[in-house]
Amino acid sequence: MATSASHAVKRLRLTNAQNWVCRNCTRRTFTSSSILAQQPRPSNQPSGNNGDKTTHFGFETVAEGLKASRVGAVFSSVASNYDTMNDLMSLGIHRLWKDHFVRSLDPGVRHPATNPPQGQRILDIAGGTGDIAFRMLDHSTNINHDRQTSVLVSDINPDMLGEGKKRFAASPYHGTGRVDFLEANAENLDKVADSSIDLYTVAFGIRNFTHKDKALREAYRVLKPGGVFACLEFTPQLANPVLNALYKRWSFGAIPLIGQIVAADRDSYQYLVESIERFPSQYEFASMIRDAGFLIPGRTDADSENLEGGWEDLSMGIAAIHKGVKPL
Amino acid sequence: MSLPASTLRAVLRTPTNLRPLLLLQHRLGLQSSPRNPSSSTASYHSYDHPAPAPYPPAETAILSAALAHVPTTGFTRTALTTGLREAGYPEISLNLFPKGAFELVRYHLVTQRTQLNTRVQFPDHDSAAPISVGRKVRSLILARLRGNADAGVVGRWQEAVALMSLAENIPASLKELSLLADEMWFLAGDVSVDSSWYTKRASLAGVYAATELFQSTDQSTDFRDTEQFLDRRLEELRTVGGAVSGTIEWMGFQGGAMVNLLRSKGVRI
Repeated sequence: MATSASHAVKRLRLTNAQNWVCRNCTRRTFTSSSILAQQPRPSNQPSGNNGDKTTHFGFETVAEGLKASRVGAVFSSVASNYDTMNDLMSLGIHRLWKDHFVRSLDPGVRHPATNPPQGQRILDIAGGTGDIAFRMLDHSTNINHDRQTSVLVSDINPDMLGEGKKRFAASPYHGTGRVDFLEANAENLDKVADSSIDLYTVAFGIRNFTHKDKALREAYRVLKPGGVFACLEFTPQLANPVLNALYKRWSFGAIPLIGQIVAADRDSYQYLVESIERFPSQYEFASMIRDAGFLIPGRTDADSENLEGGWEDLSMGIAAIHKGVKPL
Repeated sequence: MSLPASTLRAVLRTPTNLRPLLLLQHRLGLQSSPRNPSSSTASYHSYDHPAPAPYPPAETAILSAALAHVPTTGFTRTALTTGLREAGYPEISLNLFPKGAFELVRYHLVTQRTQLNTRVQFPDHDSAAPISVGRKVRSLILARLRGNADAGVVGRWQEAVALMSLAENIPASLKELSLLADEMWFLAGDVSVDSSWYTKRASLAGVYAATELFQSTDQSTDFRDTEQFLDRRLEELRTVGGAVSGTIEWMGFQGGAMVNLLRSKGVRI
């Protein structure tokens, strides 16, 4: 399985990215060599000094301690043209997914139980550029007429957070106190109190976490009883094999190429598609959410083993929305 | 020492000399394996074990609280939100029900279907005057319709029909209707194993859906008009069913006669 996958990668790439140097494009040489210089090659020292446990970084195996810094390097290098690249890679569909994600969550209090009305506290993990946070605030303000709901945007990467701060500074939400920023690792949210969050969202971020179960437990801790964990993420396999083959052609063939042309950074986008491949399937991920203690919505029978219907597939299953509700 | 009802039943069914073993097993917690057969979905009906609860406990608490508000606020998001608040959940927990108000409709349908066997009790087969299957089906339909009236949703039922007829909800609604028809034939004691298994369920589902729709606009005392409407539909069913079976029988005879005629002329069939 692993060997056939690596064969497929070699076949689909134009050349081996590790040795690839573009003679005409000096920008790319700078960015990628700076990434490569920071990180020792895992093939040389798979365990290193960072403990013996390993995890996956795309198709590579790296020491657990290294993954966070390597993911950090990827997102530092893509931060400036992150949104352009998302549009190109998903042909603009990521906007529809995010819109649907936020609309289905329906943030904001429509029927306030208290006077003065109390808004919700939303924690947007890995929300650096504020894509989800903007939509959350727009939805709660315009749809539910709730001007109290606020978002805490958290990201491990200061460069991505910088992009978000820049965008919010130019928005009507600037100065309303409805947006805060927090630079934190989602596996260790020390600065967020227990049972203080109504809605925890993570869109296209959780696959980059080293310990997904740890992040889920942390989400469970910070959520209020009845609070909602929601995750929008790619899925490794489409249900339909023909569409799956076409989709894999696109993701392994086109996306690194677009990254190379537009962002002058092939390695980072190669990592993005590889990390999608390594993410657990919908069923496995729903089981992980259930094991963290959440109630899985949408299930129609009391049998805890049956998780069918516990997630929502988007665009024939390229991405999926997972939710969990913290029980009382 | 308190025992859950299912364990108690299992204990009472065991021979007396083996009972201490079972109790010991219960005390050691051996019965609480995550996949014990009574809690997982089975595709067959068991007379000995209670059916698993149709919804998980948290959802049941919220939906039953919300259903109490349907007579005033209808099958709406408002009813669901009120139910959430009464069960102690914040408004964001509405995400527990991705189908929104339709989940309320389905909860009503499922609970009414599973309670049907407690609403109607038929005497055993060996009683003096056995009731015909047709009479049993009629009283089952009326009992189910009385369930709508008891829950106070009759005046709001057209909202539920509107929700059920939305394209995304049609499969779930039809499934629930077929399960109801199946439950009614089962409770009526029907044991047919031929093609009439399908036609019976299809025709009962049609009659029931029509009668329920009629009930939603019925203004008469005690739903007398609905009862007459149901009797007319069942009478039609008998007439049509008789005509269809007569036609099929006639076609069978004609086919057989034709084959015999051809054989008599020397055709090798």
